[in-house]
Amino acid sequence: MERLIPEIVNGIVLGAFYAIIAIGLSLIMNLTGTVNLAHGSFLTLAGYLAFVLLQRGTNFWLALGISAILTVFVGLAVERTLISPLYKRIPLYSLLLTFGLALIAEEVFRLIWGPQSVPFSTPSSLQGATIIGDTVLPTYRLAIMAVLALVMLLLLLFLYRTRQGLRLRGAVLNREMMAALGINTQVLYMMNFGIGIFLAAVAGVLASGLIGLSPTMGNGLLMPAFITVVIGGMGSLAGCLVGGLLLGVGQSVTTLYAPAASEIVTYVLMAVVLLIRPRGLFGEEGLFG
Amino acid sequence: MKRTLDAAGMSLLAILLLGMPLWMNLVQLNVSLGTSLLLFGLAAASVNILVGYTGFMAFGNAAFFGVGAYGSALFSHYILPDNMIVATLVGALTGTLSALILAPFLIRRRGIYFALLTVAFGQVYYFLAYRWSNVTGGEDGFSISRPHLFGPSGIPMEGAAYYYYVLVIFVAVMAFLWFLVRSPFGLSLRAISQNEIRVRYLAINSDHMIFKALVISGMVAGIAGSLYSMSINFAYPLLMDWHQSGDFVMMTILGGAGTLWGPFLGAIIYTLAANVLSSKTETWQIIIGALFVVCVLFFPKGILGFLSRPATAAEDIDATARVRTEHAIEGERA
Repeated sequence: MERLIPEIVNGIVLGAFYAIIAIGLSLIMNLTGTVNLAHGSFLTLAGYLAFVLLQRGTNFWLALGISAILTVFVGLAVERTLISPLYKRIPLYSLLLTFGLALIAEEVFRLIWGPQSVPFSTPSSLQGATIIGDTVLPTYRLAIMAVLALVMLLLLLFLYRTRQGLRLRGAVLNREMMAALGINTQVLYMMNFGIGIFLAAVAGVLASGLIGLSPTMGNGLLMPAFITVVIGGMGSLAGCLVGGLLLGVGQSVTTLYAPAASEIVTYVLMAVVLLIRPRGLFGEEGLFG
Repeated sequence: MKRTLDAAGMSLLAILLLGMPLWMNLVQLNVSLGTSLLLFGLAAASVNILVGYTGFMAFGNAAFFGVGAYGSALFSHYILPDNMIVATLVGALTGTLSALILAPFLIRRRGIYFALLTVAFGQVYYFLAYRWSNVTGGEDGFSISRPHLFGPSGIPMEGAAYYYYVLVIFVAVMAFLWFLVRSPFGLSLRAISQNEIRVRYLAINSDHMIFKALVISGMVAGIAGSLYSMSINFAYPLLMDWHQSGDFVMMTILGGAGTLWGPFLGAIIYTLAANVLSSKTETWQIIIGALFVVCVLFFPKGILGFLSRPATAAEDIDATARVRTEHAIEGERA
């Protein structure tokens, strides 16, 4: 038992990462049909930007904020110049384009910061352990959980309590109707993409402190995030959350009992969920077949 | 006029392919590069069945390719060593099986959901090969010695001999695909890519068609993978990685999806570019990535598509119509 609880906490942290990356992917997918294979590159980019800032002695939280905002600007530039011309074509093309971008980004990171992982230091106040009851938990993991929960809460507030959020949800259902109502859908696409990248950037900086920062860091997290979307069901943000936590906890607990199977369990989970519920746990009938 | 041009093109292609070991020697290239060109051409052709003709975003064909590679490698090591023909058949069979296993999960899915599932399920095979290391050699891969044609006392298959063996199979598969796309089955695949609802109204079970297309695609990819592992005497997990699948899709699009020879042309250009660039500069991945971006933005119909008819605004409208159809299908299912 005393080994199980920390593993479950690890799993929840891992799952929260999967969930927040998956929510970003899902937002972009639902609105514009773009499968963003370069999502992982934005995680890595944010990580390296924060790394540079931290080296110059910037406060950790400030570095997190600045790098996330800078990454969002890069993301918006990419969306406007390269991805938005493809919205009117079949989704295969944006899939391939972002795949190419991911190749380029990985090589650029390698050129600038080298192929090995760089020492990414978390602030001393977040190192060490926190004792809750009888269990000892790493403080940094608790901080990650708090930040990710806060970001998710803000996202929900935005989507369900603001006018722009309402428009976004409306456009997911019917973008032609939104355009007919006089709403500039291009701005919505941009905003939506920016939010997705922001979520990725926050996750990227926090993950760098946890699993280390290397040119392939983000791409390693991308595949579980895709599977999270599949398990949770396309088109559902709640699905991403539940799917991510399920995946994270499932992986961590398997690591404890059968380390070799920790990756396979991901795919077993996915296959089981799809056999029982072909559209995923919370997937809406009809949306994307 | 077009007929004469086609005939001239085909004869030129035939001469180039038949004489490959000779002229590759003259320009100081290894004939194994020629073999790779043919095999990546086959892998891209397997993607083309789904992407080009059926209009389905198959992003997991490297899995079938890799399963074929491991299939014949493991078979020659553990069960029947040193028989190339049987090993090739086993590769084709395992490729087909790998697609058969996945097909029930995939056939009812459309659009980007299909793409996601092919990526995700393709990785299953990758991790199987990666983790099941006492059988597959894990990350280090699995090396084999190239079998003789008909068992140990048969013909040795070195260099040019192996190239011609691959060429025979390549021609056979391409001829099979030529008949396939002209058959009623091939026509219904193309109809599905244009308007699936109408196809359903014509009392054609489109799920069934997609099932068959997937299995045929798996078989072709399996053959290619099997011959590739015997060509490099090696099978390794990265063959099945989704990056490899992305490369195959790119070859298909680059040459021209939905044309018989486009994927082969794409495979040639892509493989040669990667070979030349990776020997000249360490940052070749950037150039390959840029190739993806430029091709997607400016040559979405690929080289053959670009040559055969100039892209016009009408093409874009056509694509929008397709997306609308997808939406309509979603609506119908809702």
